[in-house]
Amino acid sequence: MKSYRLQLMVCAGTGCVSNHSFEIKDALEKEIAKHKLQTEAEVVTTGCNGFCGAGPLVVVQPDGIFYQMLKVSDIPLLVEEHLLKGRPVKKLMYVPPKEEAPIPKMSNIPFFSDQTLVALRNRGMIDPENINDYIARGGYKALAKVLMSMTPDEVLQEIKKSGLRGRGGGGFPTGIKWETCKRIQSDTKYVICNADEGDPGAFMDRSIIEGDPHSVIEGMMIGAYAIQNICEGYIYVRMEYPLAIKRFNIAIEQAKEYGLLGEKIFDTDFNFDIKVRRGAGAFVCGESTALMTSIEGNPGEPRAKYIHTVEKGLWDKPTCLNNVETWTNVPPIILKGAEWFSSIGTGDVTHDAWGGSKGTKVFSLAGKVNNTGLVEVPMGITLRDIIFNIGGGIRDGKKFKAVQTGGPSGGFIPENLINLPVDYEELTKVGSMMGSGGMVVMDEDNCMVDMAKYFLKFTQEESCGKCIPCREGTKRMLDILENITSGKGKEEDLNLLEELSNVIVESSLCALGGSAPNPVLTTLKYFREEYEAHVKDKKCPARVCKQLLTYTIDEKQCVEVGHGCGVCKKNCPDNAIIGEIKKAHHIDQNKCGKCGVCYDVCRFNAIRVE
Amino acid sequence: MPKLKIEDLEKISDEFKRTMTVREGGGKVKVTVHMGTCGIAAGAREIMNTFVQQIEEKNVKDVILTTSGCAGLCSREPMATVEVLGQAPVKYVDLNSEKAKKIFEEHVLKGVLVKDYALSIGSERIQ
Amino acid sequence: MITVNIDGKDIQVAEETTIVKAAESAGIWIPTMCYSELFEPYGICRLCSVEIIRGKRTRIVTACNYPLRENGLKIRTNSPVIQEIRKVLIELMLSRWPNVPVVKNMAASLGVIEPKFVSLERDEAEDACILCGMCVNICRDVVKANILGFANRGIKREVVLPYEKMNSECIVCGACAYVCPTGHIKIKSLDYERGAVADWYLGPKTAINIPTLQAVPRVPKIDEESCIKTQTGGCGICSTYCEPEAINYEDKDEEVEIEVGQILLATGFQLIDLKQMPQYGYGRLDNVYSSLEFEHMLNSTGPTGGLVKCKDGSEPRAVGIIHCIGSRDENYHKYCSRVCCMYALKFAHLVKDRTKAEVYQFYIDMRAFGKGYEEFYKRLLDEGVNMIRGKVAEIAEVHSGSDGKPYLLVKCEDTLIGKFREIALDMVILCPAIEPQFDAADVKKIFSISQSPDKFFLERHPKLDPISTMTDGVFIAGCAQGPKDIPDSVAQASAAAARMLSLISLGEVALDPVKAEVVDEYCSGCRICNNLCPYGAISFVDDKKISNINEMLCKGCGTCVAACPASAITGKGFTDMQILSEIEGLLSI
Repeated sequence: MKSYRLQLMVCAGTGCVSNHSFEIKDALEKEIAKHKLQTEAEVVTTGCNGFCGAGPLVVVQPDGIFYQMLKVSDIPLLVEEHLLKGRPVKKLMYVPPKEEAPIPKMSNIPFFSDQTLVALRNRGMIDPENINDYIARGGYKALAKVLMSMTPDEVLQEIKKSGLRGRGGGGFPTGIKWETCKRIQSDTKYVICNADEGDPGAFMDRSIIEGDPHSVIEGMMIGAYAIQNICEGYIYVRMEYPLAIKRFNIAIEQAKEYGLLGEKIFDTDFNFDIKVRRGAGAFVCGESTALMTSIEGNPGEPRAKYIHTVEKGLWDKPTCLNNVETWTNVPPIILKGAEWFSSIGTGDVTHDAWGGSKGTKVFSLAGKVNNTGLVEVPMGITLRDIIFNIGGGIRDGKKFKAVQTGGPSGGFIPENLINLPVDYEELTKVGSMMGSGGMVVMDEDNCMVDMAKYFLKFTQEESCGKCIPCREGTKRMLDILENITSGKGKEEDLNLLEELSNVIVESSLCALGGSAPNPVLTTLKYFREEYEAHVKDKKCPARVCKQLLTYTIDEKQCVEVGHGCGVCKKNCPDNAIIGEIKKAHHIDQNKCGKCGVCYDVCRFNAIRVE
Repeated sequence: MPKLKIEDLEKISDEFKRTMTVREGGGKVKVTVHMGTCGIAAGAREIMNTFVQQIEEKNVKDVILTTSGCAGLCSREPMATVEVLGQAPVKYVDLNSEKAKKIFEEHVLKGVLVKDYALSIGSERIQ
Repeated sequence: MITVNIDGKDIQVAEETTIVKAAESAGIWIPTMCYSELFEPYGICRLCSVEIIRGKRTRIVTACNYPLRENGLKIRTNSPVIQEIRKVLIELMLSRWPNVPVVKNMAASLGVIEPKFVSLERDEAEDACILCGMCVNICRDVVKANILGFANRGIKREVVLPYEKMNSECIVCGACAYVCPTGHIKIKSLDYERGAVADWYLGPKTAINIPTLQAVPRVPKIDEESCIKTQTGGCGICSTYCEPEAINYEDKDEEVEIEVGQILLATGFQLIDLKQMPQYGYGRLDNVYSSLEFEHMLNSTGPTGGLVKCKDGSEPRAVGIIHCIGSRDENYHKYCSRVCCMYALKFAHLVKDRTKAEVYQFYIDMRAFGKGYEEFYKRLLDEGVNMIRGKVAEIAEVHSGSDGKPYLLVKCEDTLIGKFREIALDMVILCPAIEPQFDAADVKKIFSISQSPDKFFLERHPKLDPISTMTDGVFIAGCAQGPKDIPDSVAQASAAAARMLSLISLGEVALDPVKAEVVDEYCSGCRICNNLCPYGAISFVDDKKISNINEMLCKGCGTCVAACPASAITGKGFTDMQILSEIEGLLSI
């Protein structure tokens, strides 16, 4: 077996790939060959490292030197200096905001050092298309352990004791779900991995699949063993994840070749097989019943869940569905034990499965923070830690305003709750939710009404349209918000929004409708004064809602500094600016289309916006 | 590909352990070859190759081989630093491939200092 | 059984009963819009939302599909929270479909007159689609044709056919239109070829019908062509409603073997296909009927209850009856169909009796040959029926009438006055030729009988034995033998029955002793004789590999004797030896 002195871990997550990381890889290989270092250095493509904001990334091991935002033109220097001469290249390293000294080692960068990796344990460490890498990192040992030394009930108890809860949204205790599914009598049962990750900006699951597909497969196998009578597993991946689909297929092929999938696994009586199903990209297909309807070959629409899917799911058979991150958490729990897992997180799950949030959660950190990307943190960490330590604070030194968690149907959490520990119950208490782990940070420049409208627009467009409250109700809410942000809002609209929201929450068929009004409800709760400013004063305090802005020209500034240059007049698409060269200009408010072009083109800071 | 048995998991794991050690940055012993311009001129590449060969030949899994720049003592190049986990690093000077082989066998594998080639114990590591 | 409490009332229901059904049994109304007992509850209108109380926890569920499983569950169907939900929901619907009656009525019963929302998707139509999904569900769950579905997401959702095109998988059962609560789905009849007997003859009908009121036995039958179950395997609703469980979908036509000694062939006739004579416009023009169709119209249990009506429902002003369509015609049948003249006269009489219409008879020769027939003809002439002697050349539809109503123009030559005439009529009745059944040749083969040149079955002797055939024990009667009217058919059939009974009462049949006989040892099994026998008396015995002669059928004609190459067949009492001995005896005298 060839061993190399150096391993260059090139990130091939979708974020980095779209930033041309494959070109970086080719350049690296070319340069290495040029310096005849092929025998010493190996270039490895890995899954997503999570720090997507800084991509494309290369980590040079064994020293863990972290290079970011690489360009092909940087590569000759990097290879010559670092690989040949052993001098890490400082100018390609990460520099924390507001500081000057670069941090060479990946493990010293706060973005990485403050994370706790369980689900993402193999990120950046293995080649996702090579099963041997996964095995070398302890892969399939948990499977071997359950098949050789544990009864299905013991596995079940272990998962129950660990306090693992669904990472896809609802936070349903995984052990209880498995137990119920096991209890229902049937010769045919299914396990499903929900990889239909649809939240805008969230890519935890994609990252796990692309970086570590075998961990999901192993988790599903352990689940199938614990539940028993499972005839097949399905992985439902959305079409928009071609790389994830490819890696799953490769992983399944490799596992089959090794006899890890199929019949008589490890010469026991345990048989299991997995099929990949591609979803067409409907957001609602992330809902378990809609997902199953979709696998069955029908349009993905949810159905009533009064009879649970663990009893009557896919093809009316008992079905256990968990999401990618949940399945990935299973093998480490088996290997390291329930005690280890439940030592991370909050609350106590020994008596009540709903009593705490255990383990870690992957969040996709986005919005106005310095470090955007994927972060895995222990449950119970405060929002402040995530946003200000790992996320590196708010961009451009602006003021933090709110954070929206749980994807498009989550709620907004205001600044005074920044020390809130992140777990299922706490987030629900303040009107938001864990969801699948989206986290969008907003600063003072964000208008809360506009943000609520943005998220509602998403859920409204993605509503399948089956039930009336979700189909008609969310559209009416959006209309009202449109009115408010364009200055046509009335004071009673706020109460109407609340009334409508409550009915939609209470009466919708599935969780999509049941949670769609959350952004509106939480902003109404925590930022009501912003709504009132919109409807009463017809003003947008954050100056986002263009229809509510007034553009004026500071005539003094215009004449004295700009000498009435007339650029604004030339560029105004509505011909709303009146004035002659060298004289003060002013804006005809009746004509002004509030496009903001004048503000952008004025070089003399003479345009005022209110 | 024959079907995997449980023992095979260990075998594969073992086989790839060296790669993983490098990626994880772990390992019991870390060998640093100083590869500044002076070092390369004095034959540091040969020392490096010797260490690589040794690692492969002896099928050692938990040794990390890395490079650094000039150590500042250009007249005594080629140089290498051997650091056993939990112990102070040791600098060796005026190396050739014979010496490197011996250092590898004695110090790296057995943990016995090769006093004849050693310059000093401890280092001016950058914090 | 479990006990649940709905609005304070304790109710006993079977486990898994839905709340809607439980409430119904207690007389409590829960509003529903998308619910039907025909298919699994869809649960999308959400109007049936109710509160269920389990201990301290209250939950809102839909009553249509929530299965009751636990004792002591408390349900509130009309709490303030529920009222608020229903109100907002119906307001949402009313704002979008303000004029649809079901929505308006539901709003009224929930106390909503004007919605507080303004819908940008407002649809003023009274028959707008309210996306209740009934049509989609019935097509999928009941009909199982599964051709209706939803397209688009969210507010743009709509009901569509695959690729929004007419689909051949649609069995045109009409179930979707039947369940549609707003009348948005309509069944549009396509212009199809009229004239196939089933279309008009018995009128429109459902998949389960009593064929006619005079049917014997008078019970409903399932029409396999229009039954959903036979087409898709779905539906089956009738069996759930039939209390005596009399519906058996498995019942199929079957073949039964009965051993008999004599057979009477009374296979009847068929009418000539009128569509091969395009000049008469049958199947193309409205109000051109065949005599059988008109007979059905005259029937008091027929589609018009016995009234003579045009297709548009009006009474005809003039009716023409055209004789000899395909009879006495060099191009079709040379023979006379015998019955047309008299039924045409009857039609004329009934049209005169029931309407004020003028009646025209177009005939070649009037053949009123039976008892009382000529008298009937005379009476008709007195009633003022116009008799035109001549063949009709063409019937055309003309639209230039003064009242805009199209009429039929019959062009013919009146041979009595020697003029070409055009006569305007509202209705024309064609008297088609009687012809042998299409499969008469097959029947002939089966029974080893013969057909005359006109393809009717041939009797043994036209004058002396018009009821039996050349095959013993096979008799014929009625129009299978040749065109005839009802009295003649009855007489012939009675005669045949009497002949058959006389044989039965004798108990034995006297046969001619002259028979042929196979000498088993000589027969090589060549089967030459089998097909030669005109009486079908010779059959091949498979296990012995030789031919055998049925003595009952053999007439002793000697054909086989002469044909047998092995000389294995001899005439009984006429062997070579016997004949030679007889000659010898004669010569010795």
